[in-house]
Amino acid sequence: MLLDHLLLMALDALLIAVFFSFLWKRDRHERWRYFWKVFGALLLGAVALGWLMYPFPRG
Amino acid sequence: MPEAARHSSEPGTRLPVPVLVLLAWIVPGFGHLLLGRRLRAAVFFAVISVGFVIGLALDGELILPHAGDPLSFLAAIAGVGNGLLFFVARALNLGQGTVTAPGYEFGNTFLLTAGMMNLLLLLDTYDIAVGKKDW
Repeated sequence: MLLDHLLLMALDALLIAVFFSFLWKRDRHERWRYFWKVFGALLLGAVALGWLMYPFPRG
Repeated sequence: MPEAARHSSEPGTRLPVPVLVLLAWIVPGFGHLLLGRRLRAAVFFAVISVGFVIGLALDGELILPHAGDPLSFLAAIAGVGNGLLFFVARALNLGQGTVTAPGYEFGNTFLLTAGMMNLLLLLDTYDIAVGKKDW
């Protein structure tokens, strides 16, 4: 079973980015651009948020 | 409901809009297929089904509402949003969720996002059917 957190997050981001690029954009070029924008934002945003939470205690 | 909104304004689709939206909920992408958007229907079906299956494989839970837990109602709406996939999985005793499983939270995330994406498709199907969106 694949349980790497980063990979699972990337997979979820991939599915969401594909979904929204087809939902909101009409032509192929626009879809690709939007896909990379959403995918990158989700992935980098989650990593950035993880780093921001790093100093906070777990308990 | 105005006349235009009662029946689809799309040529080739004589189904009443509520029936179209209901079918779109039952099978992800089916509404788009009935409206002639074949590529988008296939992509939506694939994305939602893959997300749902991954969620189940990761021991995620198809959450049902629990009294005293308001968030479980929202999660249940998102879960039921998966349409037929939800009911088939429940009937097969899948999606019970194993809280101690390492993939439990990830599984929930996949199941909930798949359901919410399908719910968004209902709105898109409606917009296309009544002519608010022409593609």
